[in-house]
Amino acid sequence: MKVLKFGAVWCSGCLVMKPRWAEIEKELPWLETVMYDHDKDKEMVGKYKIDEGVLPAFVFLDKEGKEILRLNGEPSKEELLKVIKENKEK
Amino acid sequence: MNKKTILLVLGTIVVFGFLFGSVLKTEKVSAVEKEVNIYFFWGEGCSHCVKEKPFLEKLEKKYPEVKVYNFEVWGNKDNQGLLVEIGKRLNANISGVPFTVIGEKYFIGWYDEQSTGAAIEDAVKCVKKNSCQDIGGEVLSLADQNAKQNKDQEGGDGEDEKSPIPQKLNVPILGEIETKNFSLPVLTIVLGALDGFNPCAMWTLLFLISLLLGMENRKRMWILGSAFIVASASVYFVFMAAWLNLILFIGLVVWVRIIIGLIALLGGGYNLKEYFTSPKSGCKVTGGEKRQKVFEKLKNITHQKSFYLALGGIIILAFAVNLVELICSAGLPAVYTQVLALSNLAKWHYYLYILLYIFIFMLDDLIIFFIAMTTLRMTGITTKYSRWSHLIGGILMLIIGLLLIFKPGWLMFG
Repeated sequence: MKVLKFGAVWCSGCLVMKPRWAEIEKELPWLETVMYDHDKDKEMVGKYKIDEGVLPAFVFLDKEGKEILRLNGEPSKEELLKVIKENKEK
Repeated sequence: MNKKTILLVLGTIVVFGFLFGSVLKTEKVSAVEKEVNIYFFWGEGCSHCVKEKPFLEKLEKKYPEVKVYNFEVWGNKDNQGLLVEIGKRLNANISGVPFTVIGEKYFIGWYDEQSTGAAIEDAVKCVKKNSCQDIGGEVLSLADQNAKQNKDQEGGDGEDEKSPIPQKLNVPILGEIETKNFSLPVLTIVLGALDGFNPCAMWTLLFLISLLLGMENRKRMWILGSAFIVASASVYFVFMAAWLNLILFIGLVVWVRIIIGLIALLGGGYNLKEYFTSPKSGCKVTGGEKRQKVFEKLKNITHQKSFYLALGGIIILAFAVNLVELICSAGLPAVYTQVLALSNLAKWHYYLYILLYIFIFMLDDLIIFFIAMTTLRMTGITTKYSRWSHLIGGILMLIIGLLLIFKPGWLMFG
């Protein structure tokens, strides 16, 4: 499982999520996450249609790289851990 | 009015009484005494009218032959008719209140006792000397004497005190507070916070901070960041002060108040729409090109080698960006300024309230900036509550809009 994190420098909610993800990544060292900047990584933003939605956006992918689900805004740490646990084996 | 002010006013009247006592005596002997009627047309919620009223009461005390007849024209159709009739007779423009008629003379608006007040007093003296026609009285006698009853209804005791808002409130812990003194600061803080609390709107500041954090020169970092914040606040101050003066100048015209009331209703509707369409948290991705342009400009400015060019650039950019943001505030500063203008305050008091509003409005930006500059790390403010600020702001603006249109007297605090 892999998580794509889309954020931007100018987005206050993205800044709020940064330390939350840092904690999760520390607790779950096996979890693969990649951070993308909304203004710089245009290719990925286009591929996952981030421009039409809300920032921050977190896209959860399975082993084949297919999107399982995505969360927008500021989900709590518990919410994120629950989603990760449920989809761990995918 | 507190005791000190009452004593001061009484003191002034006594001193003036002594000063002018002798002059009055000689006048009374020489002039043929005649009843002098002042016809005072005013509007509920008009701040200039409130200022003129005590002056006319003073005149009534000073000259026993003076009688003031009050006519509220924004709510009372009969009185409006009288004003139209008198306007025709005097060939006067009656689009604004206060409108004061003495003999053949009329006065539109109120500036202060030295100018408008002195002119009114001169007119009183003219009628006293029997050389002027009582136009208002003639129109009134034609109008079936209805207006004189009006005086009994409106000119009686406690007319000004007929406020539907309780004068005093008992609050636990704080005890008894006077709503008059309390309401305006609270309203200022609430509206300032609602206007300012939108973490998604602080994107320019966050851009700037991200660029400033990349700098090695901490002093330059502090100065450029502070300059941006001060310049942003200045744009708001200049706009709100100019708006206030414009309203104080033309505010006696009823349609200005109605238009701002409608703006408040529109702003309220917009905020409610935002509440229902916004995500629970996070920021909608909009205005990509504009954002990119501002970012490029900020980058050029902060990388500018000359400090003064960078400083100038940041101030100009702050002005430009905030002028746009001002429109995005959905009219809240304009509506707040209108409410402020309804209250009868000293000039510097108005400006202090505007400063308080802006301080509260910018508080979140200040916090973010200071945290970033001292810890050298960027922090964000949660976007979870911005939806709620849309809801509360929307409801509040709808209420203010309705009050501005139908019950402006309820919004007069000072």
